[in-house]
Amino acid sequence: MDFSWLQDPFYQEYLIEGFVNTLWLLAVSAVAGMTLAVAVAMARLKGPRPLAMLAKGFTIVMRGTPLLVQLFFFYYGVGRLLEGIPGVQDSAIWPLLRDPFFYGALTFTLSVGAYSGEVLRGALASVPPGEREAGRAFGMSPFQVFARLWLPRAVQRCLPTLTGEMILLLKSVPLVSTIALMDLLQAANIIRDETFLVYEPLMLIAGIYLAMTVVLTLVLRQVERHFPGMQPTRRRRLPLRRAESAPCKH
Amino acid sequence: MTSSSQALSPDASHRLAVEVHHLVKRYGDLEVLRDVSLEVPEGSVTSIIGASGSGKSTLLRCLNLLERPDQGDLAIADETIRFDRNPQGDIVGLDRRQLQRLRAKVSMVFQQFNLWPHLTVLGNVTEAPMRVQGLSKRRAIERAEHYLERVGMADKRDGYPAFLSGGQQQRVAIARALAMEPRLLLFDEPTSALDPERVSEVLGVIRDLAAEGRTMVMVTHEMAFAREVSDQVVFLDRGFVGEAGSPRQVFEESRDPRCRRFVAPAA
Repeated sequence: MDFSWLQDPFYQEYLIEGFVNTLWLLAVSAVAGMTLAVAVAMARLKGPRPLAMLAKGFTIVMRGTPLLVQLFFFYYGVGRLLEGIPGVQDSAIWPLLRDPFFYGALTFTLSVGAYSGEVLRGALASVPPGEREAGRAFGMSPFQVFARLWLPRAVQRCLPTLTGEMILLLKSVPLVSTIALMDLLQAANIIRDETFLVYEPLMLIAGIYLAMTVVLTLVLRQVERHFPGMQPTRRRRLPLRRAESAPCKH
Repeated sequence: MTSSSQALSPDASHRLAVEVHHLVKRYGDLEVLRDVSLEVPEGSVTSIIGASGSGKSTLLRCLNLLERPDQGDLAIADETIRFDRNPQGDIVGLDRRQLQRLRAKVSMVFQQFNLWPHLTVLGNVTEAPMRVQGLSKRRAIERAEHYLERVGMADKRDGYPAFLSGGQQQRVAIARALAMEPRLLLFDEPTSALDPERVSEVLGVIRDLAAEGRTMVMVTHEMAFAREVSDQVVFLDRGFVGEAGSPRQVFEESRDPRCRRFVAPAA
């Protein structure tokens, strides 16, 4: 095992840049993707028919095609197409449209929007309608009912699945090494090409991914645990004193 | 009801909390309410009784417009409801702002409690006063504690609904309704989903509220209870008011044969 290349400040810089990019991609796609997922789920449940159909079509296409193909499609396809439109290269958003990070984040956002949107749709549909009705009956606005009652309950119900999606997202990130974005895998590839060491860089980044996954899992577990109203599951797992009351009917 | 209440003005007995004129509600071809008129004086308790499918719950749900009637006029808590109507006079729409204002004055207690499981007991009771009436968190908590005390659930304030018995959940739901300090309280079969041994604790709370002179409309199958606490009893029959009047008139002196048969077991 030869890890002497770790001393090289250039390689250190690649690895740090790759690590930072990975975190950024994960954060941006998770936030934007979850927002999109809520929109997709609501469009399918409550949207007017054309919008619902559009959301369904989007879900089918994004879930039915490989992520790598989508990434190529947006970067090489859409990216090159935009490049050819007169004026785009002079516009203010060109630095963004030229950046592979943008296409990576876009692809992952759409992917999370489709997968998690489907999860959320099921969860939203499974919240007993009486809970929303109670909100309406007390004069809450449709938005309040959604933001305060319906969505939190749906998220509560599918949180473990959503956190699973986030962990899958983290491990999809190395795909961006194929579109000239410096991520951990790209850094490892450069090191391999220059040092002719195949296993060591891969082992290093595998270790980093493993550590990130463990940390992410722990963080998300805390989120799950502290999500409002999640106590029931926690208590069921731990043999604490039983609630003295009769079991509820649900 | 002659007892006084801090919530009502002195001339309350002359005012009407609910006026319903010729209400019609259809689900497709099924006419659930065919022609229902009803007046509920402020400070009185009205019970709506009748067989399953007679339209009791539908009528109650029209009073806070969880159901939109198809025809008729409604005035609730001094507001005439503004309906959008088509040229034939059928109701086709509602004024959303009026609707939300109205619902803030009319609280409902549901058969299935419909508590919000992701909120604590206290959270359930403070939610609507804070979001709808704009109360500060502190004032909402004070109010919630007051009403949780009233229904005997103060010690469970930090628990979640899933850990409460049905009777306890329904008492929290009553506190939630009271915390809006409503002009009108609606009860939709509040004890029908409860184990028999839990019914009395909920009826006890409702009995106290009735004695306070709160304006209440209640759909119930508890005949003895309806007879005991009501100022007015309405017997609904296939979408019409079959009989209406004092408990005595409905339970003992009704001339309507279907009403007599319906109340016979309780008479």
